[in-house]
Amino acid sequence: MNAKANKNQVTCIEPDYYQAITEAIRKEAVKILKDETVVGVVGYLPGRRKGTASPALVTTVEEAEKLIFSPACVNNLSVYLTKAKKGVLKQGKVGIVAKGCDMRALAGLMTESQLQREDLFIIGVVCPGVYGFGVERTGTLTEANIARKCRECTVHMPEGADVAAGTHAELADLTPEEAQEMARIEAMPQAERWAFWKEHFSRCIRCMACRQVCPFCYCEQCLCDKNRPQAVESSPRPAGNMAWHLVRAMHLAGRCGGCAECERVCPMDIPLNLLNRRMAQELKELYDFEAGLTPVDKGPLNEYKENDDQSFIK
Amino acid sequence: MPQIITEQNLRNLIDLLVKEAKLVVGPKLSGSVVLYEPLTAGSDLTLDALPRRSSKELFFPICEDILSYKRENGAMKVNDVDRSKFPEAVLIGAPPCDAGSPAILDAVMSWDYKDEFYLERRRKSTIVGIACTKGDDACFCRAVGLAPDAEAGSDLFLTPLKDGSYACNAVTEKGQALVAAHQNLFSEGAGAEPKPFVDQAVAKLNLVKIKKWLEEHFEDPLWEKIADICVGCGACAFICPACHCFDINDEGSTDDGVRRKHWDACGFAKFTNHASGHNPRDVQNKRYRNRIMHKFKYYDDKFGKTLCTGCGRCIRACPVGIDIAEILETINSKQD
Amino acid sequence: MHVEVTKHDFEPKIVAFVCTWCTYAGADLAGTSRMQYPPNVRVLKFPCTGRIDPVFILRAFQKGADGVLVSGCHPGDCHYMAGNFHARRRFAAFRALLDFVGVDLNRLQFSWVSAAEGGKWVDVVTELTERVRTMGPMPEFKELEHEEQWSGAINTPELKEAYDSIG
Repeated sequence: MNAKANKNQVTCIEPDYYQAITEAIRKEAVKILKDETVVGVVGYLPGRRKGTASPALVTTVEEAEKLIFSPACVNNLSVYLTKAKKGVLKQGKVGIVAKGCDMRALAGLMTESQLQREDLFIIGVVCPGVYGFGVERTGTLTEANIARKCRECTVHMPEGADVAAGTHAELADLTPEEAQEMARIEAMPQAERWAFWKEHFSRCIRCMACRQVCPFCYCEQCLCDKNRPQAVESSPRPAGNMAWHLVRAMHLAGRCGGCAECERVCPMDIPLNLLNRRMAQELKELYDFEAGLTPVDKGPLNEYKENDDQSFIK
Repeated sequence: MPQIITEQNLRNLIDLLVKEAKLVVGPKLSGSVVLYEPLTAGSDLTLDALPRRSSKELFFPICEDILSYKRENGAMKVNDVDRSKFPEAVLIGAPPCDAGSPAILDAVMSWDYKDEFYLERRRKSTIVGIACTKGDDACFCRAVGLAPDAEAGSDLFLTPLKDGSYACNAVTEKGQALVAAHQNLFSEGAGAEPKPFVDQAVAKLNLVKIKKWLEEHFEDPLWEKIADICVGCGACAFICPACHCFDINDEGSTDDGVRRKHWDACGFAKFTNHASGHNPRDVQNKRYRNRIMHKFKYYDDKFGKTLCTGCGRCIRACPVGIDIAEILETINSKQD
Repeated sequence: MHVEVTKHDFEPKIVAFVCTWCTYAGADLAGTSRMQYPPNVRVLKFPCTGRIDPVFILRAFQKGADGVLVSGCHPGDCHYMAGNFHARRRFAAFRALLDFVGVDLNRLQFSWVSAAEGGKWVDVVTELTERVRTMGPMPEFKELEHEEQWSGAINTPELKEAYDSIG
């Protein structure tokens, strides 16, 4: 652990911290809307229920003054900039509120030529973390209610944003629950691993929330919606569910920015980010690729080296 | 004189029903979530959380075979599913927002086309509802005309009492039969005081007014405002006790396969996609509008009922925090 | 020419996804040279290993394959310049995924077999077939095919077990 991080590490993040970010976001959003730098800002508005927030596509100064940032601002808003949401935002430069994990998605979308940096005004959030699912939403972020992905966050600082909202604060001594879970699964005998995933996938209802919130699932025609020919059964049965989740993980390999939205939105609590994480780990080991905050020329599965490992090929 | 059943006897009742080879379905911990699942013993029953999915799947399975086909000696042989094999079932521990859904869905399932898959399962099932003493800020059953102690849809209705036992009211003949068959588990008596209900955040809505507004505002800026953020998943529809759209798919090959009926959702872009490629609900806010219209206008037009029980599941599950209760309140508060 | 046929208790189903330019030609060479190899393999021809989607492998396992072989041109020999280089990365990743969900990678073989390597084709197919034969049928995906969610099943296995235990 480095000294710089230690200095800012605390046991809870008070609402004041988020309030300061909120103020900064409002100020910036109002400014860029007023001087017509952007046609709209994608941010968060508070929900009806205490401690909730919703994505919002804001086009007026009045609305921009209501934008917030709180631990309930869990969404990765970059999904609204993709082809999948085309027509929702007016043509032109768009402002977007982005946490570090969301910025990795933006970088990935730029890598894939889905976005142009000059079309974006990124209001980066120096984010200490957001709520997990089904936790107490008190306004204060603690070890008890922080999301699993945030426990191992490496992108608190949104480097490369046009402006950054917030100073720097992070919770101290968080247990890396996801890493521990990964290790537990990897240590299982093979049959047990199969049983673990089979149980999880069998619960899947194929609501496709994991696909719909994913910034990288922007295909106009999903392979898994096709029935002539049919690659993956569309009926929500254990067989098709297993195939769907494996295809999903495979299609995100080398692209996923690790925002874990798929896992957050799953109404059946399937730990989908573990699959993404396993793929990311493999691509790091094999091709030294890591999803980062800056766009790259090509993703790891879109390029090759002549001397790539082929020890598994006869 | 009301009948009383102790918590232990309620669990014993489940044991007995399982022994009678009935399919007993109730809230059960499955992995990290509580779901309605077949109970194999009374001890499985978990009444401290609202199951993630509604109990509609007992009557309207997430996916079921409706026939199988096979080409034999050049001729296609079709085998219908033998519906007489559907098990006798008891749904136990469903709060009014779940227990009440069949009472709403029966209308559409036995309308011009009789959905025998649904109806056969309905005929063979008994619903033991339970008054709801929990709830959170997403609950709004009172707002849509139900209540934590609404008996609609239940055959036998349990009210939790402060001493941990339950007061039972046999609402229908099926309920009476269930009590009569296990009379020794029930006792007569006044019982303790009922447990209090939780207050709800959403006030009672004027559904007539909401319907009238919907009638006049098929085109309205509100739809874009509330639904442009919708990402088009099916989470809200799939976990809803009242949503009942389904798709039918043939799976297998041209010579050998199964025809399956499974849940579908109006939020999916493909839901209304025509073979020509034309999509009448081409953008997400039109799809979301249909969800509201169907629940609070179309269904009422046809069957005189509201297609919502206020369970709040869609509010809790929506990936982007769309809050149907908030939308209804907004419409309710409009001047005209 | 007469080759003695050994009877086995279990004949595995092997599905081979091969590229048309190298491995398919290699398999053809094995055939025209009258080399013998296990008839368990079902060959599916593709333009290039780059066209072989991981979903094909899943589908093969789901529909009854006990083992899968993917084979194409040696690195540098791709008819489309780089198809096999891309495939190599993709399958390296896919293997990790399958392993993570609990699939035995011994059932999945990748190989480079050129048009001149009829003998190597025979070796690869024979080795995979015999290895899978000793492993027995692959139950995982096939069992899943027959599983239903409880609500769609007419008799749920869980309940059946409970009834059986009651006796």
